[in-house]
Amino acid sequence: MTVRNRGALAAMAAGAAALTVAALVACGSQPAGNVGAEEASTLASPTSAPPAAAPSVPVTAGELPAGAEIVPPVRLVIPEIDVTATVNAVGINERTNEFEVPPSVDQIGWYRYGPGLEAGAGSVVIAGHVDSATQGRGAFFRLRELDQGDTLTATGSDGTARRYRVVAREEYAKTRIPLDRYFARDGKPRLTLITCGGPFDAKARRYRDNIVVTAVPA
Amino acid sequence: MQLSYFRRVAAGGAVAALAFAGVGALTATPAYAATSKVSVVHGIPDTPVDVYVNGEKTLDNFKPGDVAGPLNLEEGEYDIALTKPGEPVGSAILKVDNAAVPGGANISIAAHLDAAGQPKITPFVNDVSKVDAGKARLIVRHTAAAPAVDVRAGGTPVFEELTNPNEAKGDVDAGSVKADVVLAGTDTVAIGPADLDLREGTATIVYAIGSAEGKTLDVVAQTITGLHSAPGGVPSGDGGQAGTGVGTWWYVLAGAGVLLLLGGGARVATARTPRR
Repeated sequence: MTVRNRGALAAMAAGAAALTVAALVACGSQPAGNVGAEEASTLASPTSAPPAAAPSVPVTAGELPAGAEIVPPVRLVIPEIDVTATVNAVGINERTNEFEVPPSVDQIGWYRYGPGLEAGAGSVVIAGHVDSATQGRGAFFRLRELDQGDTLTATGSDGTARRYRVVAREEYAKTRIPLDRYFARDGKPRLTLITCGGPFDAKARRYRDNIVVTAVPA
Repeated sequence: MQLSYFRRVAAGGAVAALAFAGVGALTATPAYAATSKVSVVHGIPDTPVDVYVNGEKTLDNFKPGDVAGPLNLEEGEYDIALTKPGEPVGSAILKVDNAAVPGGANISIAAHLDAAGQPKITPFVNDVSKVDAGKARLIVRHTAAAPAVDVRAGGTPVFEELTNPNEAKGDVDAGSVKADVVLAGTDTVAIGPADLDLREGTATIVYAIGSAEGKTLDVVAQTITGLHSAPGGVPSGDGGQAGTGVGTWWYVLAGAGVLLLLGGGARVATARTPRR
């Protein structure tokens, strides 16, 4: 075997190795895929009220609206992915009109305009960072690993711990995510967890997708 | 043969005619699509009433300060009459004939006093368009026997020179505000102050009712829910550690691999040929 030949073979080996590594990375980074998407969408459909037997007209005292009794979640525990996080009540970023996720990545935010844990209908939304350029991994870094049947516990400001069971995990491009459905105030009572995921655009420093986990009272 | 052909054509024509008639019948009736939601607000002090719609008693002993509804009414014209409780519709104290209810709207019909103190009925069309995330809609209606007023929130006038029977409205940050009503251009408080909890995604309609002269000025409130919008997005990461896309460098690596394989293969192939 000539030197020239040996060099050529080495080049081929290096090429094969490079291809294998690239292929492995490509396979490993495939999204985990959606589960339970249909169930999540069924939960969101408004429960059809049976037609009233006697069409009587409801009369209410026209009093000024008073503050409603809402139970905000204050702590969320997800044993499956080692999450124990403080939940803050958050709203809307005035400048961007987007969900105001708490800046500290180990804390997560509950959408205070939507239902609280006491609600008999609608979607309680909690969002958290997957990670941050300056702070590293966030509370919801491993949210995409959750699967149907996993349980989590949300504790309200009333001290009551409420257990939920995961029914769906979905990944949507941020441009296509049906946010109206996840921020709905009607439909079955459910807990919706949101973070970022999918391919990362290093230049714009943003993820392409949102990961959405839907859970129902266990 | 020819006869049967003719028959077939005739039958086809008849079917076509029937089909067209069917379409006509369907399009001629706007029916179910045009239902409106109608609420009734009672703003005449000290005067409980029965409310008749098209001659039928709809509300029994309806009290001042109460809000009834919403009723689902089909588009059309309605006769509305108010009587003293228990009295026949013929002796109505206040009536409006042929009140037009448009289709697909949300309407509040207010029984109230005009600026001079006479009872009257005013229909208002409620703005039920969506509010932005984080916002609430405040609508104020002057339905009292009182001069022009300003509405203040936290001491600052937000609606000015409001007169009977008009409304002013705006979308504001959801939350609690201390509001009062003053005589226009003055600091003379006519109503309030009161704490208003403006819940996000709702419209709160406040009616100023009663009479300044009779010292019966008060407010009636009506709330419409379900006007909320979702946030524009949920930005929740800028680190990139969880990125699942295949980065550019991996494509470069794969490309280099392919080149090396091809190059090396070609070398091996060309090196072997001369030996034969």
